[in-house]
Amino acid sequence: MTPGALAGVRVVDLADQTGALAGKLLAGLGADVVLVEPPGGSPLRAIPPYWQGAPDPERSLFFWFYAAGKRSAVIDVERPDGAARLDALAAQADVVIETGAPPSRFDALRVANPRLVVVSITPFGQAGPYRDWRASDTVAEAMGGMLYVNGHADGPPLRALGLQAYHQAGIFAAVGTVAALLARETTGRGQHVDVSLQASVAGALEHVPGFYHQIGLVARRQGTLHWTRYFRVGRCKDGWVMHCTLGDWTSLVEWVKADGMAADLGDPAWEDIRQRQLGGGRLFDVLDAWAARYTVEELVENAQLRRIPYAAVRAPEALLRDPHLAARGFFVPIEHPDLGIALPYPGAPFRPGAAPWHVARPPRLGEHTDEVLG
Amino acid sequence: MRPLDGIRVLDFTWVVAGPVTTRCLADLGADVIKVERKDALDFGDRRGGLSGTLMRGKRSIMLNLNDPRGLDVARRLAVRSDVVVDNFSARVMTNLGLDYETLRQLRPDVICVRMTGFGLTGPARDHVSYGPTLQASTGYTLLIAERGGPPAGFGYSYSDLVGGNLGALAVLAALCHRRRTGRGQLVDFAQLEAVASMIGPTLLARAADRGTSQATGNASQEAPGAPHGVYPCAGDDRWLAITIFTDAEWARFRDAVGEPWVRGPRFATHARRLKHAPELDGRVAGWTGSRDAEDTMRLLQDAGVAAGVVADAARLCHDPQLLARGHFVDVPTPEGTTVRLDGPAFLLSDTPARVSGPGPLLGEHTDEILTTLLDMPAADVAALRAAGVVG
Repeated sequence: MTPGALAGVRVVDLADQTGALAGKLLAGLGADVVLVEPPGGSPLRAIPPYWQGAPDPERSLFFWFYAAGKRSAVIDVERPDGAARLDALAAQADVVIETGAPPSRFDALRVANPRLVVVSITPFGQAGPYRDWRASDTVAEAMGGMLYVNGHADGPPLRALGLQAYHQAGIFAAVGTVAALLARETTGRGQHVDVSLQASVAGALEHVPGFYHQIGLVARRQGTLHWTRYFRVGRCKDGWVMHCTLGDWTSLVEWVKADGMAADLGDPAWEDIRQRQLGGGRLFDVLDAWAARYTVEELVENAQLRRIPYAAVRAPEALLRDPHLAARGFFVPIEHPDLGIALPYPGAPFRPGAAPWHVARPPRLGEHTDEVLG
Repeated sequence: MRPLDGIRVLDFTWVVAGPVTTRCLADLGADVIKVERKDALDFGDRRGGLSGTLMRGKRSIMLNLNDPRGLDVARRLAVRSDVVVDNFSARVMTNLGLDYETLRQLRPDVICVRMTGFGLTGPARDHVSYGPTLQASTGYTLLIAERGGPPAGFGYSYSDLVGGNLGALAVLAALCHRRRTGRGQLVDFAQLEAVASMIGPTLLARAADRGTSQATGNASQEAPGAPHGVYPCAGDDRWLAITIFTDAEWARFRDAVGEPWVRGPRFATHARRLKHAPELDGRVAGWTGSRDAEDTMRLLQDAGVAAGVVADAARLCHDPQLLARGHFVDVPTPEGTTVRLDGPAFLLSDTPARVSGPGPLLGEHTDEILTTLLDMPAADVAALRAAGVVG
């Protein structure tokens, strides 16, 4: 196999689910990621769903996704010889990823290995008044400013699909790690990467902090009407569609006119995108009435032919049957020989041409203990 | 020093996703040259606010890429750049002659990151998209919803942020690869795939059970837990997120709440709490409903229970923890004002990322880039400006 971008980088992954994506991204980029598990297995192995339903630490689909491409070594750090083994492993590693409560073990670990990069992913970071507080993904999304703007105006704030506080933290952790590895080429030394779940959510917002600092605006929930007012969900014959009033407006208006449903959309004032922003709600009412004539597929196909960015509002499982993703090989079949199955794993988030993304079977508990610890 | 000192990025990106990639690189020390059109969009203030936060620390050159002389300038800048990033549709850079195959003839170790909606290959490669349409087609819009409720989705283009930050990872990884091998590369970055990869556990679960995804409101997507949700508090649109997974957490919650209902056998075990979750949610909402959100958050956190207020923009921007972390930074502008921007979300102990400067004005650095980087005589710059090629 072609070596990945991070070939030769050794990562010791001590993360629970809050930081599991970081090691997965580094493994995808070609690093050798050793997941250190306690004798009872990583906490991710106890998270459902399970292959064919029954709880089994070797059948957690949740674990499978995050551990795919990592190796597994069992170390009982509660025992003195286990702690020594872990220290020995860290002494020879390039990166340690940890998710324990602050303070980080960075200072202790760097004594034996000044080149070590230690990444700490915690709810609120290593310092500050909330450093000892706890968070789940949903609590971090709440305190990071995401939840308040998700949902309908008359409904509750809604958490994301997927664990997006953990995922943003995992991405920032991976970015910080690779940046620290690049810096090490110059300085010769590792460093500490401090990632906060809350700050990761806050650092991945769009209009919320920007417009508050700019004009004091406190953005509210407004259902599917995007804050730019260029997008809103509408209803077709057989499902939901995402309208878009950016893109080729002239083509959209001609199409709606040809169907005799244009009302005042032909008014030249709407050619100015700022007018379309101000008139968002009114435009979408006209487009909703028109869209009801079509199936979702008809509407989206015809829109894309006219270079109008419409999209079907689909369930995630639609991606498993998406011909475009199939043609690109986004899902990678991974065999589980113990179970006699192969499952399509979601593959690369991006495709480096010279150093392909690595996806491999998730490890059995302790599968690589002997080869890792020697 | 910073990790990307000495790295130059030629930035053709626009809207949000691409600018998020290059702002991360700018924070890490790269010299980011943002190539802009005369009619470049902004959100009202280029120094600060949303535009300033997206463009922080970059230099701006205004180039007319429809003019061959403008394209020539762009190619000469590419020769002086380590990384070239764009987020146009697939065909645009090829039509301009700024694609990887062309640029690597000029600079063999160049790294090109093409951040398209659908990628450079595949039947939908020429489809057009924005963040909200990608969120719709990948499942977020449908499943961020109340149980049985209509789609709600994200309140913003989260996909642009997730894609943008992954784009920065792609650039950093390609720079590592170049250090080791001396070679550049083309990164085919499809926003669709970046966004889809962030619901990996759901996709794998559906591949395994061939089932149908349902919206589950604010229920847990990690370990099963109850109560797990967002509960109303006293005041206008105030809410508190509370998460309890284990019996130990429940015991701490029970003692903090101290009311009769919380002590009863009905909710005494994890299994019973899950079984009676809707009723438990109602009880918790009844308890929080008349209470102050911040006070209740502190009560529960002091007891060791994960609880957090649903922060609106004002509370977020005054959050004591984010402020203590230096998450928001005051950045001086050349006009003598100060703008408050988001800083880097992660902290590096020895070579910290930092905001290099405010957002640039349109074409603010055109002259200095042309004269110092391309050694162009001032008279030539003036001639290009008079011809409308640069601005």
